[in-house]
Amino acid sequence: MATIGQQLLRRKPTTPVGANEVHLKRSIGLFSLTMIGVGGTLGTGIFFILSQAVPIAGPAVIFSFVIGGIVAGLTALCYAEMAGAVPVAGSTYSYAYATLGEGTAMGVGACLLLEYGVSTAAVAVGWSQYVNQLLQNLFGWQLPVQLSQAPEQGGVVNIPAVIVIVLCSLLLIRGASESTTVNSIMVVIKIAVVLFFCAVAFTGWNADHFANFAPAGFAGIVGGAGIIFFSFVGLDAVSTAGDEAKNPKRNLPLAIIFALLIIISLYVLTCLAALGAQAPGKFKDQDAGLSAILQNIIGSTWPGTVVAAGAIISIFSVTLVVLYGQTRILFAMSRDGMIPKIFAKVNPRSMTPVQNTIIVMIVTSILAAVIPIDFLAEMTSIGTLVAFLVVSVGVIILRVREPDLERGFRVPLGWTIPILSIIGCILIITQLRLITIVVFLIWTFVFLVFYWFYGRRHSVLGAAQAAGETVGEPDVPYTSTVRRPDQDGR
Amino acid sequence: MRILVGVDPGHRSAAVVQLGELLARSLDAGLVVAAITPPAWSPIVRGADTEWQRYARDSANVVLDHAASLLADGVKSGELKAEFLLHEASSARRGILEVADDHGAALVVVGSSAAGPIGRITIGSEVDALLHASPVPVAIAPRGYRVRRGARITRVTAGYSGSDASADLVIGAAGIAADGGASLRLASFAVRPPGPVTTASGLHAEDAVLAGWREQMSADAAELLADISELPRTPASVEAVVGIGATWEHAMEDIEWTDDDVLVVGSSSVGPLARVFVGSHAAKVVRHSPVPVIVVPRGRAEVLAARAETG
Repeated sequence: MATIGQQLLRRKPTTPVGANEVHLKRSIGLFSLTMIGVGGTLGTGIFFILSQAVPIAGPAVIFSFVIGGIVAGLTALCYAEMAGAVPVAGSTYSYAYATLGEGTAMGVGACLLLEYGVSTAAVAVGWSQYVNQLLQNLFGWQLPVQLSQAPEQGGVVNIPAVIVIVLCSLLLIRGASESTTVNSIMVVIKIAVVLFFCAVAFTGWNADHFANFAPAGFAGIVGGAGIIFFSFVGLDAVSTAGDEAKNPKRNLPLAIIFALLIIISLYVLTCLAALGAQAPGKFKDQDAGLSAILQNIIGSTWPGTVVAAGAIISIFSVTLVVLYGQTRILFAMSRDGMIPKIFAKVNPRSMTPVQNTIIVMIVTSILAAVIPIDFLAEMTSIGTLVAFLVVSVGVIILRVREPDLERGFRVPLGWTIPILSIIGCILIITQLRLITIVVFLIWTFVFLVFYWFYGRRHSVLGAAQAAGETVGEPDVPYTSTVRRPDQDGR
Repeated sequence: MRILVGVDPGHRSAAVVQLGELLARSLDAGLVVAAITPPAWSPIVRGADTEWQRYARDSANVVLDHAASLLADGVKSGELKAEFLLHEASSARRGILEVADDHGAALVVVGSSAAGPIGRITIGSEVDALLHASPVPVAIAPRGYRVRRGARITRVTAGYSGSDASADLVIGAAGIAADGGASLRLASFAVRPPGPVTTASGLHAEDAVLAGWREQMSADAAELLADISELPRTPASVEAVVGIGATWEHAMEDIEWTDDDVLVVGSSSVGPLARVFVGSHAAKVVRHSPVPVIVVPRGRAEVLAARAETG
């Protein structure tokens, strides 16, 4: 029987079946890679996050976006190094399992449930606001507050948010798939909507709105960054696409930087336009913010309708993507024996994990129905930040443990970027609300307790090692079993 | 047991006759080769279409003579029994169903549309109509299909989707394979969807799902093969394979095929119980199959399974 230390640190072997053929087809160029970054990121938060962030940071929310973007960029670079060093395909969970061991991987898993599952709920709530706005504009009628808001905001249950999650789940059960082409189309729609908003909103420009620029000072700016960090979730998609990128050493960092520049520019532009058009005091509790701002300055509903329709399409696609990610991460965890087997059951006809999708649908629907959006957004942010923090630490550990490991891409400037990334993540985490941090700690603790009693004993890897199979070679200090220098004769 | 071969009265085709011969040899059945011609109009038109009738009959006779010449060797040596007939009906579908009913045919053999690619099955409008109405299995020959002289079926490949209806189909196919002294193969097909690009859960997240699906199908298939080994008469050998590819064509090519293979697929479980109704998956499998396909109506699959189980 393995000791507890061995159990917590056991690492998954990193030679998945077919790894070699996978690495042969590098088909994604710099442009597509950048589009993946933009498509994964844009449209998650910008449509509704201003109503939460402006009351905290004031007009200085512009700098919140810049700070959030820089931290997201630093972590994405670290993530890219990690993804390039470890020949496994998968999410942060898979990388953590292969490099940092089972215990850490489960901690990361807890964070990813927030990054995906809770953010599904958050974007679904954002979707519900725009649906109501569109109903109001087109038919002069909208759902009553009882059926479209969480209890804390005077409602009972948020029905549209549940509907969008159920619709997306049905698509996933039927077997929906995303391709680079679909992504490019969505990117065009999202950018068009954002630019349309800016173009109209700048007509109502009033510089007086920027008078009290940073009412809460630097703490307010960083606190704002904690909330809006949510709108940078998805940039890591570039890193995970790295194993199919052409010339990853050059294209990965460039794609991350280009995508980030595009996104930060669009976000800052949107903030400037929104703040120029509407006094900071009016942002609080404003639903379907971008639509409402346009209608207030134009005095006519059509621009709001256009933005609402665009937002509904783009948020729907984002909901589908995060929901999909959540089911596949749970699927991977279940196949590793970390969570019950029901999550890895595949329906023979639709060839999708149906039970898994239904469970995720029910849980995220409940979250979306009764929890207000600001809390959901913060929980997503903290989950993502901690997951990224672990990746950055992992990069440093990997460099110390295996300096000679061949990496598809190495972050320049030595340890500077991983350390800056860690500092940035911690800085933002400390400025989140206390309740968020406490709930996060409780959640992670519960998840690890579950691991202690379930995953640790059901681990597929642990069973294989106990049976004397040589998977993983736990005593060998190398992460990669295919690129060990002593075997390559280097 | 009789097999009905439906030939196109305006178009000589060796493919459909050769498939009929192969099946008749393998299953030890008699052949009925039928050409369906349009009926004469009522006396109201006072025989104005007599010339047209004669032309249609002559042309159908040319096709039937051609079929007879192809089958001549087998008939002469007594290995095959074949009869040839002309039948008038308002549509090919109706005519074939009438002849099948009159002669008690257990299987109908038809050809591909001449509009499709060589070596593949393309379902023309008449075959499509037949597929929706036939109470007995329908075998479809790929365009340009040829077999060696005196060949028999060496392997029956049954499309297996994991459903109960599909399990019946496999048991029925096992009975057919046992009758013909052939081996049985279970085949399941899946198409790998494009990688999810913006989820950050890896571009190959679907590979794990497909691996899970493959394990589940293999386990189900192993159970089914164990059931088959307890049948009174068993196929020469049994195996289960899974084909996965980026497209249906690649998925079908993922498993190996030989010249004397036939593929058996079931009709959709959502259509009317007793009729053939090809589901979306089965339709793609039929379209990309490199070997002849036998489409079995769901009700018929149950009958075949029951027959295989009782011996």
